[in-house]
Amino acid sequence: MKSESDIIKSFVVSTFLVGFPGSEIDDETSFLDSGLIDSMRILELVEFLEGRFGVTITDSELIPENLDSIRRICRYLESKGISATGAP
Amino acid sequence: MVTFNREVLRIDPERETARLRDFIRHQVLSVFKRKGAVVGLSGGVDSAVLACLCVHALGSDRVLGVVLPEKESSPESLDLAMRQAALLGVRTEVVDITALLEAFGVYASRNAVIREALPDFDAARDRARIALPGNVLSRAAFNVYTLKITTAREELSFRLKPDQLRAIFAAQNIKQRTRMIRLYYCAEKLHYLVGGTTNRTEMDQGFFVKYGDGGVDIEPMAHLYKTQVFQLAEHVGVIEEIRSRAPSPDTWPGGVTDEEFYFRMPYHTLDLLLFAWTEGIPADDVARVLELTGEQVERAFRDFRSKKSATWDLRELPPNLVAQGTALASAVEPNPSEQS
Repeated sequence: MKSESDIIKSFVVSTFLVGFPGSEIDDETSFLDSGLIDSMRILELVEFLEGRFGVTITDSELIPENLDSIRRICRYLESKGISATGAP
Repeated sequence: MVTFNREVLRIDPERETARLRDFIRHQVLSVFKRKGAVVGLSGGVDSAVLACLCVHALGSDRVLGVVLPEKESSPESLDLAMRQAALLGVRTEVVDITALLEAFGVYASRNAVIREALPDFDAARDRARIALPGNVLSRAAFNVYTLKITTAREELSFRLKPDQLRAIFAAQNIKQRTRMIRLYYCAEKLHYLVGGTTNRTEMDQGFFVKYGDGGVDIEPMAHLYKTQVFQLAEHVGVIEEIRSRAPSPDTWPGGVTDEEFYFRMPYHTLDLLLFAWTEGIPADDVARVLELTGEQVERAFRDFRSKKSATWDLRELPPNLVAQGTALASAVEPNPSEQS
């Protein structure tokens, strides 16, 4: 079963890194610092996370602390009760 | 390295005016070989400064001020644009572009998206706008646009889906692109060129519409930060009401400032931080001068990096094989007689 980290990385690579090798990001890569995220893409990421993991990301949770890397997203999802395998 | 302090963006307005006068005159008359300049007057400080500079460079009889309001423009914009033009003694042409925008479906398609969020939205009664989160220095937040609607009773906020936001921007950007069409129509009839009003803050951070307000012949102020444009404004004769007006794209009936819509901080702070980032001033040095924390400065720098990166294509010519130096080699078959 794919881990949460793999699921998120797969989305990020297929959506934001089309044409680039997946090894260019790791779990610690900052989306902001690497220029992967802009005002449109953050909405795409939120839409994906809410749809795939069944969470509701509030406005106050839409902060880099929670969503600016694969590692941070995983930590945030765990705080919302989503397991490491992506199941609630 | 530049010494960074709060006065680092202070300019000599007299010297800068003379430099820009010479630049505009040379570009219009010698490089482009045109008879004058068209300036789209929005009622804002950038276009007012450009108009003043063009008159200074060319004379008022070689400058045409074109005012292009639409039904969602602030009524104050038209009044201020006309008063500035009258002060300069330039001819003006006023064309209400509402019908053109309606024909393009701008209002209908944008409002349809708004009604997906608020089915009872009535454009005649309610005021809509989109805005980014508050001051980037106050809190860390992604640049997520929120749709804000002011009804008779309350102010409502909605987070949009990506396709909704794209649809809204695509519709709204037609406003600037329609203005570009009209400015070029006026310019080409007169053998004038179209003067651009993009300042350095906007140019660097991508705050203009591709082939909209970015579709011009010359950009005389692209080296000046917004606060430097304001310094120039006082010197070249921009009326006080324009100088004291909060900068705004003036494209939303709900009214939104540049700060709320894009930059997330006031210009007097933004420009100093942007200059520091551009010049590679260490964040700690900037923080000390501006009495901010290092984290706040780093947050601003990250925001600049993100916006500049995301808008790279606004500042480049369309990629093509000629520019890449490979076009001819692959397009032309070798001539057999040249082969031995």
